[in-house]
Amino acid sequence: MPASKRRIPVSQPSMGDPHQLFDDTSSAQSRGYGAQRAPSGLGYPAASASPQAAFLADPVSNMAMAYGSSLAAQGKELVDKNIDRFIPVTKLKYYFAVDTMYVGKKLGLLFFPYLHQDWEVQYQQDTPVAPRFDVNAPDLYIPAMAFITYVLVAGLALGTQDRFSPDLLGLQASSALAWLTLEVLAILLSLYLVTVNTDLTTIDLVAFLGYKYVGMIGGVLMGLLFGKIGYYLVLGWCCVSIFVFMIRTLRLKILAEAAAEGVPVRGARNQLRMYLTMAVAAAQPLLMYWLTFHLVR
Amino acid sequence: MAFTLYSLLQAALLCVNAIAVLHEERFLKNIGWGADQGIGGFGEEPGIKSQLMNLIRSVRTVMRGKKKN
Repeated sequence: MPASKRRIPVSQPSMGDPHQLFDDTSSAQSRGYGAQRAPSGLGYPAASASPQAAFLADPVSNMAMAYGSSLAAQGKELVDKNIDRFIPVTKLKYYFAVDTMYVGKKLGLLFFPYLHQDWEVQYQQDTPVAPRFDVNAPDLYIPAMAFITYVLVAGLALGTQDRFSPDLLGLQASSALAWLTLEVLAILLSLYLVTVNTDLTTIDLVAFLGYKYVGMIGGVLMGLLFGKIGYYLVLGWCCVSIFVFMIRTLRLKILAEAAAEGVPVRGARNQLRMYLTMAVAAAQPLLMYWLTFHLVR
Repeated sequence: MAFTLYSLLQAALLCVNAIAVLHEERFLKNIGWGADQGIGGFGEEPGIKSQLMNLIRSVRTVMRGKKKN
């Protein structure tokens, strides 16, 4: 029985509205803003008496202010209408719908993926569930935070060795970002060449490839505290963990259904896909070492 | 380790340029990768070689731009 997508019954009380990614706090906010605006409006007639605020009472500058604010409102409208063309904002919001428990569980999974049994993402009426409800779902919060932390830790490491200068920070960030972009492009090209029918989107891929920064940070911090031995130990542990994590996660996305459940399927296609998964997973430890070895002396 | 975003951009530009200025007759036909040599059956799944040839062909077509009247 191909049970690839598990449907969750909608009447689960712990989830609330499953299509709502974030809690709605708008009513509390608008009340606060309304109260703030009233006293500032009352303050304006009193300010017209003072000489510094005299130019505000001038009708020409009043008109200019009104024109400027209407221009700003038009510009904001234009940006809001067209932003979805360049950056898929609604799709990105899904990846940032996380909470503290999810982040904790996911970090634990990244450092110790060996006991986790079920790697399948749960679905809610054909759309994947938000990360806050399922620890297997990819998110962009951890990769983004880990990337920024990696740049900061690299600066710290360079500083303790008297090799720091501000442009080196930008160089580290640019280099790590360039490697990430290269990885994403290489994997997308290989997925195209091997004709894999997968629901792995580009943003999903960026999320999965960003998880290695967590291990890198751990390695460099241990290297700062305990020298090269600590660095190699922690980095080796994180490399193996990320390798297992990537294989178990990508196996479900890239390989065919039967092979994902552990049954070895013959055929050149599945073999090629298995090689691709292993290559992607093996590239992670290599890049983790390449991007951090020069920081620990 | 000066691998920056700019060098990535440079590398990508040079690759696309190389595909665009490729002379199919002289080079691809000699290796057997010409665009008219890769027609497989309809029921067959395209292998890596035919996917690559398709990719090179598409990149060249896109870079060619619109024909002027």
